[in-house]
Amino acid sequence: MKVLIVEDEKTMALEMEAFLKKSSYLCDLAYTAKQAGKMMEDNSYSFILLDLGLPDRDGLEVLREAKKNCPDASYIILTARGDLEDRIKGLDLGADDYLPKPFSLLELQSRMQAIQRRKSGLNDSRVLLGDFMIDLIKRAVFFEEQEIELSRREFDLLSYMLLHKNRPLTRSQLSDHVWGDYSEGDYDSNFIDVHIKNIRKKMTAFAPVEWLQTIRGIGYKIKI
Amino acid sequence: MKLLSKLTLYTTLSKIAIVILFIWLLPRLVNDVASRYTNYYLKEQKKKVLDNIHKKGIDYYLGGDSSYGSYTMLKEEYISLEPSYTELPVDTIETSRRIVENDTLTYRLLNHVFEYGHKKYMLEIGKTVAAIDQYNGPLQRVALYVLIGLIAFTLIVDLIFTRLLLRPLGLIIRTKLVNRKFPFKEDLLPIKTSTTDFKYLDNSLIGLMNKIKEAFEKEREFTSNASHELMTPIGILQNKLENLMMDNEMSEESQEKIIGMMNTLNRLKKIVRSLLFISRIENDQFAKADHVKPRLLMEEVVKELEDRLEARGIDLRLKVSEDLTLYAINRDLIFQLIYNLVNNAIRYNKEGGKILISDQLIPGKSYTLLIEDTGTGIQENDLANIFDRFKKSKIAGEGYGLGLSIVQTIAQYHGIDIDVRSIYGEGSVFSIIFPGAMLSKPSAIV
Repeated sequence: MKVLIVEDEKTMALEMEAFLKKSSYLCDLAYTAKQAGKMMEDNSYSFILLDLGLPDRDGLEVLREAKKNCPDASYIILTARGDLEDRIKGLDLGADDYLPKPFSLLELQSRMQAIQRRKSGLNDSRVLLGDFMIDLIKRAVFFEEQEIELSRREFDLLSYMLLHKNRPLTRSQLSDHVWGDYSEGDYDSNFIDVHIKNIRKKMTAFAPVEWLQTIRGIGYKIKI
Repeated sequence: MKLLSKLTLYTTLSKIAIVILFIWLLPRLVNDVASRYTNYYLKEQKKKVLDNIHKKGIDYYLGGDSSYGSYTMLKEEYISLEPSYTELPVDTIETSRRIVENDTLTYRLLNHVFEYGHKKYMLEIGKTVAAIDQYNGPLQRVALYVLIGLIAFTLIVDLIFTRLLLRPLGLIIRTKLVNRKFPFKEDLLPIKTSTTDFKYLDNSLIGLMNKIKEAFEKEREFTSNASHELMTPIGILQNKLENLMMDNEMSEESQEKIIGMMNTLNRLKKIVRSLLFISRIENDQFAKADHVKPRLLMEEVVKELEDRLEARGIDLRLKVSEDLTLYAINRDLIFQLIYNLVNNAIRYNKEGGKILISDQLIPGKSYTLLIEDTGTGIQENDLANIFDRFKKSKIAGEGYGLGLSIVQTIAQYHGIDIDVRSIYGEGSVFSIIFPGAMLSKPSAIV
């Protein structure tokens, strides 16, 4: 899957590239609107990650034009400006999602997957996890035909860990995802523990959950 | 007490005092004047009589008799002349009774003894006190009426003039001081007055307020720019650390250190984000065009925080009326405000504690949401500072963070008052007081 990263901060663009490469995305980098325009003409992309604060042109203009050149791509707007107006205008212009800087790369990937799922329909929304089946669109967990009731946050946690499976996630990364802007760092870590305990309790009633591992001093990981 | 009331009171009381003093003084004055005049009159009469005797001889009066007496028709005045056997005393004037033809009357009497033809005579001239006092009553009344009339007139003039004079002061207070909520948004117009003191006061106030406004705007701009500039490097650091974390070769020890760094960075990110959020509110970036039922908003907040309540075993009760609507607000901001307060009520509560959310409506005046907890409470000397950015609690050793600063900023932005009462060790009550104007639909919806 091909991704175009349009970001004038080189270091940041490189970090995004390094991260996405590991999740087997192919990445092109553009540091200016001009470069980006050229690349969009020559290639087709599944994702275009667009920083609105480009040095040579207004990001929203770039987006408007890009939508013409690459109508099939999914767009995620990245911005440090964080103005509500930018967000609304961006989404109005057809962006699929919006991430305010600074953002977590895990969050970026999770948003990309969510867009992908949304666009591809129900086909790949069901994932096997041990003896369980997770439906990411219906937001439900099944053991055989039996549905297991998880709370909204519990499901958020489970699906996030599942998306970043085999990777240790810290408590604050998890709380950032679950509570977003309302996350409160250290204080929230305790609640992550409570939620994980609940997930374990609810699911072990049906089958073992040894895939959900606690990593001492760090956090949690789903190992498959 | 207001200056105008004080001046009014002073003017009125001083005039009343003058009237009372005058009423007390008037009879004495009039009596005194009347008595002096009578004495003078009697002396004049005496002079006339002596003159007559001197010119025409004593028989002009005595006519051969040994004594002479005469009085006016109503016995108001009388004169008597009779031989005297006493020494020659000095003239006396006294008030005394005399019987004149069976009538006993009180007279003001002048006694004069003189020698005429080697004989001593006593001349007595009298005037009834009743005749003297005849004009006293009406005189006093008229004087009193004139005085009261004058006083009433000056009082009214004084009061009107004071009112006019003080009007610019009232205007200064009304437009510059009363109900002014910081930050001041609108431009300040100087008031019109010819009183230089007021002009000076007004200009000084405008100058000061503009200075404050400027300083505040600078700070706002700085916060906004600085926070914004900080976001990019924080983002780069965060992403670098995230990539580093994925390196499988890393030792457990290094991984833990990286997590420590990530947590610190996270804290930094939260702070900068909150500051940016505050400066965005202060920069008017949120429209106040939503309307919302507080009950529904509360339910939403509680739902959002359900798992925290559950995890800490806290019993939350919601007693908020269902059919009330608040207008002209920003829904997201008010949500955030309530969220922060309820979140604090959970966070600083004790395990298994209680939270009561209730409301109070004073129709037309205000609508108050009360969030009551059974938590740790706030020390009295900390109460004043809890809304300050970065102010640390002295006892708990932990900061209240920016949560309450955000609450305050949102409240100020909406003209909402936040009231805090707290008993250390027992709990706190946060009151969100919405102004009455929010309870009705704004008339002009643009």
